[in-house]
Amino acid sequence: MKQNLILKAGLIAFLGVLAWGSTVQAAPLDDLIAGAKKEGTIEFYGPSTLGPEGAQAIVSAFNKKYGLNIKVNFTPSGNMTRDTAKVVGLSASGQPPEWDIMVVTDAHHGSLWLRKLQKPFDYTSIGVDKQRIEYDSGTVSVANQFALPTYNTKLVAAKDVPQKWEDLLDPKWKGKLGVINSTHHFGRLAAGAWGDEKTLDFIKKLAAQKPLLTRAGEMAQRLILGEVLVTATLQDSQLHEAKESGAPLAFAEKVSPVVSPEYHVGVIKNAPHPNVGHLMVAFMASSEVQPAWLKYTGHTSAYVPGTAAYKFVQGKQVIYMKQDQADKVDKISRQIGKILGFD
Amino acid sequence: MKVESGTESTVATWEGWSRFLPQGVSVFATGLSGFLLLLIGLPVLMVILMSLRTGFPGETVPFTLENFSTVYLEPRTYEVLLNTLFFAVSSVSITLLITVPLVWILMRTDIPFKKTIYVLLTIGILIPVFLRTIAWILLLSPRIGLVNKWLQQLFALSEPPFNLYSVTGMAFVQGISFVPGAFFMLAAAYRSMDPSLEEAAYTAGVGKLRTFLKINIPITFPAIAGLMVYLFMTAIAVFEVPAIIGLPARIHVLSSLIFTSTTPSTGLPDYGMAGAYGAIMLALGLVLAFMYVRLVKQGKKYTVITGRGYRPREIALGPWKWAALAFVFFYLSIEVFVPFAVLLWASVLPYLQLPSAEALANMTLKHYWEIPQHVGLQPFINTLILMLAVPTLTMILSVLVSWVVIRTQVSFRGLLDTLAFVPHAVPGILMAVGLAYLGLAYRDIFPIYGTVLIIIVAHTINWVAYGTRTTNSVMIQVHRELEEAGRVAGASSPRVLWKIVLPLIAAGVLNSWVWIGMLSYREVTMALTLYTRNNVVISTVVWQFWGSGWVPQVAALGVILILFAALVVGAVRLVLARIGEIGEAA
Repeated sequence: MKQNLILKAGLIAFLGVLAWGSTVQAAPLDDLIAGAKKEGTIEFYGPSTLGPEGAQAIVSAFNKKYGLNIKVNFTPSGNMTRDTAKVVGLSASGQPPEWDIMVVTDAHHGSLWLRKLQKPFDYTSIGVDKQRIEYDSGTVSVANQFALPTYNTKLVAAKDVPQKWEDLLDPKWKGKLGVINSTHHFGRLAAGAWGDEKTLDFIKKLAAQKPLLTRAGEMAQRLILGEVLVTATLQDSQLHEAKESGAPLAFAEKVSPVVSPEYHVGVIKNAPHPNVGHLMVAFMASSEVQPAWLKYTGHTSAYVPGTAAYKFVQGKQVIYMKQDQADKVDKISRQIGKILGFD
Repeated sequence: MKVESGTESTVATWEGWSRFLPQGVSVFATGLSGFLLLLIGLPVLMVILMSLRTGFPGETVPFTLENFSTVYLEPRTYEVLLNTLFFAVSSVSITLLITVPLVWILMRTDIPFKKTIYVLLTIGILIPVFLRTIAWILLLSPRIGLVNKWLQQLFALSEPPFNLYSVTGMAFVQGISFVPGAFFMLAAAYRSMDPSLEEAAYTAGVGKLRTFLKINIPITFPAIAGLMVYLFMTAIAVFEVPAIIGLPARIHVLSSLIFTSTTPSTGLPDYGMAGAYGAIMLALGLVLAFMYVRLVKQGKKYTVITGRGYRPREIALGPWKWAALAFVFFYLSIEVFVPFAVLLWASVLPYLQLPSAEALANMTLKHYWEIPQHVGLQPFINTLILMLAVPTLTMILSVLVSWVVIRTQVSFRGLLDTLAFVPHAVPGILMAVGLAYLGLAYRDIFPIYGTVLIIIVAHTINWVAYGTRTTNSVMIQVHRELEEAGRVAGASSPRVLWKIVLPLIAAGVLNSWVWIGMLSYREVTMALTLYTRNNVVISTVVWQFWGSGWVPQVAALGVILILFAALVVGAVRLVLARIGEIGEAA
């Protein structure tokens, strides 16, 4: 009987804790929804590949989920670096930002974080997985890019496809190799698996190969045309587009480790619509958003089981950047850029 | 025939003119100078301030010389400076090699198809420079260039004969793209050139080529020299060709360093460094601007004014017209036909490929259908606003400045003329960064940041130098007798300007209006620097597509725009032809 009583009391206490917990979780969510309803609009900055249609698709799903009627103004990224600088400039001059949320790479959010320009929020309180949250609760990881050496499948024989990073240093690639200006790919290797010394040594040897240098999109075109046969890195977004158009590009998939820059979303400090912003950030972390990301950008999250990115990383060594590496990646990437001849 | 050695003598001897100089003119000229000083001076001041600071617009940071010490103590800066000078000199040389004979052929001879050639010249500038550059990569790249491959096969060469990825290659592409602008600037000088020496040479039995080399070129040398300086200033500031051909091969020029400082591949922009690099360009530009003004003044001594309806006789080319046509066709091929063919080819492919049977089999029109989905309406509206507002404002300012400079005796008119030319000494990218800095740091005072208006301001400042050069040359050719008659009849100064001067210079002004409208349409560097969601224009869309690797989509957009523009330009040219002869004084 006494045992039974203790059991009942324990059960009641457990249910009580559960109920309290759900109230705690519901309260901030309810507050955000109520606030979002009043704000009514979201200024959304994101990758140009997402486009207004992709942004609208995400916001429609968002409205459906929370019973809202939020209007979206989407700004496609022309240049993430310049636009990140614009946020810094507006803040420095005491002006509000143009956007509520920004979906940019973790490196760009790192630049904002170093200047405390995100508006942090306890996203775990509204159900976001802790693993997805970065930059002192300022951002949430939405999708992963992958960067690997890439080759023209029509012009490079299977036996010549690079198997490891060092294969890029083979003299046979001299004058036939490209390097894109995303030098942070190597910066991430330096901050992660390789360390400074190995990375800089590799970069110096890579520079001696006299690679053709340019931006990623342009490099993809030059690779398709055969101006270069291999690029040291290219992102999966370029491969996604190539696949769509039937262009002959492929990753050298045996190369390891794989570099994975992430798209993060965060609410900008002094954003005009912070409630919609935070609610949208939480929504972006859900698996419901992944199909739209895949459809419009070709990217998905490696943290969400079942997605293409999740499957891709299984069994691979993948380099992710954490917030404590942001400053280092920024500095060493600049050094790498100088060695290669970008600056 | 009347030879004028500057405007002063005529003005001084014209009795009626004294009535035209009430205090009001000085007040007006002072106001105009003050306005221009503000319009041009503020962004330039921002560039100077920027170079003396680290950090971001709006941040309160102390002044420092750190940026200058970093830039000027670095030996690489001087290597880049040498590259820039070599690139600029080579580009200008290539432009002049084509432009001078082209102007002579079209302005002084009876070559057939003149109107068609004018329209094609105008269309040439509508093809975005970077697409033209891609065309040249397809032809002259050492690895994939079709011309290289054909020549290697034909002559069994082990190495490709041309390497586009060199300063010479950059200069070749840039030099060709300067030709239409240079043509319209030089055309006025050739049109008003004294034909008596030329005719004397022919009478003496001297051949056409020898006459061209020994008479035409020396007599128009001041105009050519002025153009040379003008183009040189443009060449040190251009960015697209150095970015697409130079950067991949690690060939840096000053403009590419400014661009990489403001748009680094990682981290945040370094505006201070951009300002310090820009200071070199600014200093160089000011020296060149001084030289230009001097050369143009000198040029006036040799110019025959054709105000009494005088027209030099056209030279009959006879059988030489085929050679002349071949030359023009060669130029139009490399300027218009080949780039347009590449554009057309790229626009119907699923992805960019060299010509092959496989590529032919995969041709598609889907990029044309998808344009509305990718672009939307706003960029077209904004571009249209730019194309109407920029030339209108520029030409209003230019006419007013030229009126003061050419038609009044205001003591500081030379200063006003120089002031109007100063923007040409400031590279567009710097001007835009200065305006952006101004808009961001002092947003409450100048609430134009993020609007189309800021691009209109940037473009107007940028082309007021060009506008005033053309209105100066047009206005100087209009005789004052009609104005005097108007004054005698009791018309006020504004009425004389509106009713007499403007109709007389309408053809030249409209010509420049069209030209500046087109320059504004294709300008990308400033529009990109000042770009926000609300002021996106076609040129920034094109650049973004290119950056994303969407070449077929850009090509489809380019083809549609060029065909549309060809119709518009053709129609405008027809209208202009009814007002006055095409190309007049432009």
